[in-house]
Amino acid sequence: MAHILLVEPDISLGKLYTSSLELSGYSVSHCRTAQDAITSADENIPDLVLLEIEIAIHNGIEFLYEFRSYPEWQDIPLLIVSHVVPSRGALNPKSWGLLKISGYHYKPITKLQDLLSSVERVLATDGVKAL
Amino acid sequence: MIGHDEQLAGVDGRLLQAVVENMKLPLLQVARQAELARMSGSTDTNFSSIELTADTALRLLDNYLLSTRLASRRGSIEFEPVSVSAVLTDIAHQLSKLADQQQCELQVNISGRYEPVIAHRAGLEAALMSLGYVFIEARSAQPVTSGKRIIRLGAHRGRSGIVAGIFTDSDSISNDMYKRAHSLYGHTRQSLPGLVAGSGAGVFVADSLLETMSTRLRVAHHQKFSGLAATLNPSKQLSLV
Repeated sequence: MAHILLVEPDISLGKLYTSSLELSGYSVSHCRTAQDAITSADENIPDLVLLEIEIAIHNGIEFLYEFRSYPEWQDIPLLIVSHVVPSRGALNPKSWGLLKISGYHYKPITKLQDLLSSVERVLATDGVKAL
Repeated sequence: MIGHDEQLAGVDGRLLQAVVENMKLPLLQVARQAELARMSGSTDTNFSSIELTADTALRLLDNYLLSTRLASRRGSIEFEPVSVSAVLTDIAHQLSKLADQQQCELQVNISGRYEPVIAHRAGLEAALMSLGYVFIEARSAQPVTSGKRIIRLGAHRGRSGIVAGIFTDSDSISNDMYKRAHSLYGHTRQSLPGLVAGSGAGVFVADSLLETMSTRLRVAHHQKFSGLAATLNPSKQLSLV
């Protein structure tokens, strides 16, 4: 069973994404802050990270740089699922390769089904499957 | 020097943007909750309806925010060659569920082959989509004339460029109505009473978006249908046809 680390500050959306992922056979750790996400990844290395870059206390981009700074997490596939428009701010598409971002979903137009398709595609590329 | 009224308008505008940004989250929660219920096997058709309504409202808010973002960086917007037929086809696909729900028939009609136009693709798509929402809402409340309620996403060559817009078989759209709507807009709940029961905000969002691309909406006709459209400048870079 593939394990997904979901970093989503909103509790309702976090529950919704968790339920839909679990319904599709994945195990999910939902964290609302960057610190919790680091702790969770230390305890149970994820096969995939879903990240909202607009999080409280820390900046999601900072989290991303820190996450990628640890050798054991450098190759874990990561999808951004965010309210932030992709081309805005520090995370423009030019930096995707550097941070090994597998895809970007703009939340307002992303249905659960679209997200699940991306998760499946990215994990399949990486050779991991749902239960 | 900036006057008091302009300062207030600026503050109101920023406040409105912040409120709209905040409103997106509950709409997103509602839409995805309804989608999850549908995915979990619920046969209650209300969930599809709730999902569609919340997604439509969310897109309208998002399109409004895009118009404010583009307006704030007018002069440095990155335009690109955009295929009008591709945009209209894409929008038709995205509007199809709403059209079905509102018992309207969507048609895409491109009269001829055209070179791409110079536009901001996301802005053009958001403008035509916002307009599409209003036309579907408006037409669904009007009587059926020829057995169907037809909404046509169309493009044709005009005197000064490619005319792209949304048209309908209803005769409720006129220059007078549109001029009046602009003078009523912001002063009354119903700016387009002859067309749509609500505020018709999508029309003004579309117009704002198009204005950032140096064009405006105007009343136009397309194969005996009337509607609102914008004239877009063809790109000379990629003339394949």
